[in-house]
Amino acid sequence: MEDALAGAVLGGRLIVIEGRNEDDRRTAEKSLVDQARAGDLLAFERLYRENVRKVYALCLRMSSNAALAEELTQEVFVRAWRKLDTFRGESAFSSWLYPIAVNVALSERRSRRRREARIFSTDDLEGFDRTEGRPAPEAGFDLERAMAALPPGARAVFVLHDVEGRTHEEIAAMLGLASGTSKAQLHRARRLLREALRS
Amino acid sequence: MTCEELRDHLDDWVDGGLPAPQAREAEAHLAVCPSCRRDEDELRQLLAHAAALPRSVAPSRDLWPAIAGRIEREHAWPWRLAWGPAALAAAAALVIALATWAVLRPTTGSVHTVEIPARTGPSPVSGGSTRIDPVLLAAERDYELAANTLLAALQARRNELSPETLAIVEKNLAVIDEALAEVRRALEVDPANPGLSRMLVATHRKKLDALRRVMRLSTAL
Repeated sequence: MEDALAGAVLGGRLIVIEGRNEDDRRTAEKSLVDQARAGDLLAFERLYRENVRKVYALCLRMSSNAALAEELTQEVFVRAWRKLDTFRGESAFSSWLYPIAVNVALSERRSRRRREARIFSTDDLEGFDRTEGRPAPEAGFDLERAMAALPPGARAVFVLHDVEGRTHEEIAAMLGLASGTSKAQLHRARRLLREALRS
Repeated sequence: MTCEELRDHLDDWVDGGLPAPQAREAEAHLAVCPSCRRDEDELRQLLAHAAALPRSVAPSRDLWPAIAGRIEREHAWPWRLAWGPAALAAAAALVIALATWAVLRPTTGSVHTVEIPARTGPSPVSGGSTRIDPVLLAAERDYELAANTLLAALQARRNELSPETLAIVEKNLAVIDEALAEVRRALEVDPANPGLSRMLVATHRKKLDALRRVMRLSTAL
């Protein structure tokens, strides 16, 4: 579990404080965003360091390619910097980053499909060797690899719904789908993964 | 509920999204159907795997230096913050001033003496050496020519506009020209900066677009 870090400005200097309270965290994030918006790159670096692992995990699962996921993660933070004015502090900064990350990953996928007329490679999953958190309940089933073999649309919905815990409405908004399409893609992903689980 | 219906609703059942009457039917069916219960167990097992996946993964290297480098290149000039929005607002104000005048103008004409500058802004190319790309300078000349043509046409109609409207036009043209001058100064310092070149062209476009709209409005009066 990551520590809830909070930042605040005191006398024009960035002060990092720790706090467990969600309100503290939101206030600190908003303060960091305000500083970053005013051109303070140090404040933005703090936001980057707080969120990079979540963004990278999402990009890695969406792309199934460690090197590409690093490029995507960079792009996400550059775009986030450009769009800081749109952060209102109504949600966590990480939640605000999600649609940006999803769009970056999907845009890259679309342009790469056009370029190469093929979809993702599914064999570059070494990035997951650096995972943090709980181990999978059963070592025999490699869910990351099975997810990488899913069709991209089904994989994106499965990652967002069953790994990241997003609702179909949120996913539909992020991916530009109807909510029913998101449900259908999830159904397809689960069916294919259950087959993989059985084998 | 049949096995087929149960399979159709299994996702909702497991996610807890099945309405109460259907949930009761699903529960009753699962209590007596080992095959469907197996499907349910399998799905719950899959979801347990998914829920156990780490939501944080560290990249193999620190990505910040590359990110900071890109951001710094994009923001290598402080003028962006100072004048970009000001030029945009000024271009909008030009159009709004004329639109307001079009709606509220008096029915009888009167003669005014406020002058619209025949040529606004410092010349980008007049005399002296410059480090700015000649292609960019040529584009600037074209923009200036087009802007001056529109300004001359507007000047010819100045007597039809109120002093207040003319004052707003003049003030906002000055703001746009100041923004252009700032970007030019930045380009002299950093002539290879593509962001500054783009900003210069974009500001010229905004000025031209605003003048065109102003002219369209004033000729419609």
